[in-house]
Amino acid sequence: MSIMEYNGGSVVAMVGKNCVAIASDLRLGNQALTIATNFEKVFPVTDRIMLGMAGLASDVLTLRDRFRLLVNMYTIKEEREIEPETFAHLVSSTLYEKRFGPYFIEPIIAGLSKGSNKPFIASTDVIGCINFAKGFVVCGTATDKLFGVAESLWEPDLEPEDLFETISQTLMNAVDRDAFSGWGVVVHVITPEKAFTRYLRARMD
Amino acid sequence: MEVSFALTGKDYVIIAADQNAARSIIKMKGDEDKIKALGSHLLMAYSGEPGDTIQFAEYVERNLRLQQMRNNHPLRPQAAASWVRRSIADSLRSRNSYSVNILLGGYDMAENTPKLYWMDYLGTQSDVPYAAHGYGSYFALSLLDREVQKRLVISFPSFRVKVVDAEGVREVDVDMSV
Amino acid sequence: MEAISHAGTVLGVLAADGVVLAAEKKVTGKLLDLSVTKEGGYGGSGEKIYLLTNNVVVGVAGLTADANSLVNYARTAAQRHLFTFNEDIPVEQLAQRLCDLKQGYTQYGGLRPFGVSLLYAGWDPYYQFQLYLSDPSGNYSGWKATCIGANNGTAQSLLKQEYKEDIKVEDAIALVMKVMSKTMDSTTLGSEKLEFATLTLDAETKKPRAKIYRPTEVDALLLKHGLAKKEDAEMK
Repeated sequence: MSIMEYNGGSVVAMVGKNCVAIASDLRLGNQALTIATNFEKVFPVTDRIMLGMAGLASDVLTLRDRFRLLVNMYTIKEEREIEPETFAHLVSSTLYEKRFGPYFIEPIIAGLSKGSNKPFIASTDVIGCINFAKGFVVCGTATDKLFGVAESLWEPDLEPEDLFETISQTLMNAVDRDAFSGWGVVVHVITPEKAFTRYLRARMD
Repeated sequence: MEVSFALTGKDYVIIAADQNAARSIIKMKGDEDKIKALGSHLLMAYSGEPGDTIQFAEYVERNLRLQQMRNNHPLRPQAAASWVRRSIADSLRSRNSYSVNILLGGYDMAENTPKLYWMDYLGTQSDVPYAAHGYGSYFALSLLDREVQKRLVISFPSFRVKVVDAEGVREVDVDMSV
Repeated sequence: MEAISHAGTVLGVLAADGVVLAAEKKVTGKLLDLSVTKEGGYGGSGEKIYLLTNNVVVGVAGLTADANSLVNYARTAAQRHLFTFNEDIPVEQLAQRLCDLKQGYTQYGGLRPFGVSLLYAGWDPYYQFQLYLSDPSGNYSGWKATCIGANNGTAQSLLKQEYKEDIKVEDAIALVMKVMSKTMDSTTLGSEKLEFATLTLDAETKKPRAKIYRPTEVDALLLKHGLAKKEDAEMK
């Protein structure tokens, strides 16, 4: 049993045309036993950046709190909001601080840059090695299934609604084949004008 | 081999925990209280490594009491749960960690809502309508009814049951012979 | 203490549905670079009024350098509380944290106390809207309306006369403006002399919303209350 699979859960993020989407499942488990079906793994960082984490649930919560503290201090001292690229490096260095006793999570960052509205997604491993992907990034217990479905469903320059459909289908079909993820999903889409969040019921078993 | 359950109703939280104090195959005691009142509107059921449980529960109890004395008001259930989780999560990555699983139920007087938090020794926390720890959780979470008694491999002879609502904390008697 | 009695006045009024802060700026002049105050950040020009956290704004009177260090300490303390309890720090606790620090410097020789008085305007779910004052010795107290800095005696007695129980934010703003215009040394009011902030509850989310006014917004407010300078063409 790997500690990365102890609680279960998966996250995926995708780039569209001037928009990004990030989604997670809602399950919290103790190995095969489901404890809760309302455990979100994606958190807002600013109005235009979201952070998703899959792995050990305790560390998901700890890092959610840590990043909130770090970003709040950044915002109040710099008197401006953090940029997605900058935040990705903040995540990376925070994880690398624990190089020899890591947090057991893999994060995914999705956001829009301030001026250009350029979509940004990235993921890192448990010690903060950044992967700047251009299409989609995945993590969690359904990683291998997510790669497969995303690879065939995703295409460049999707409009927000089409991107929503693509990421929803990708995640729902991937977690259906994963015993440790599922129990509904939550999808966030960020566009220059607005961000919206939708909860979807999937196979609830 | 411990069991604890909790569930929220419209305006209350009810928590039950077994009363066994056992070591290996020997049962030492059958009237142990494993639910602490951490203030006027907060209950905590704890289970796990013997020794750790009581030590940690008292640590929590006294710290929350200190906070209440300093600030002239008790922490809300959400804030208390966050503090307890933080303590467990910090302890997990220390040299000697507490192996304690917790159900924290309280009545939020500011919002007039019952709150229940499930926490394990890793510092996992979840805001849930009903929860359980121990072997009972495998039954309770899927059934959540009186079948628990019938189906449980180790059938405990008695449970201590406490309720928290707007009136505060109180203990209730449950007839286990049914 | 001497520095504080010469410092720009800071005024606070507690209303039923919010708190109002106003401060007189001392460092002014045509050559002062205020370009960063026009956009970005949290508003204000960063001399007298600071955002400490979501639910607390503070006005400072005294040594500005000391104030900066205290503001930084307070912001860290507020974030630490949020980190451990997942709730915004209660206003009185934040004031207490700063006062513990300030008191420490009155205990031992060799160190100089912080030459700063602060007015805290805040909201928390335990006691709703609150207004606190703390002095360099580490004393703090809660107020319905109070004042620190130069001419605080005059302002205090004015507030005493004019303050009404259950005052609303709109009236509190008018009251603050009126008292400010009477206590400030200069005869005319303008955004180059005044900082202004309110703390209210968002109607929809019921969460506290701190607003530190930008220079243009301060001028608009002065105009609304008929206190704007007569010949303000030159300053724009």
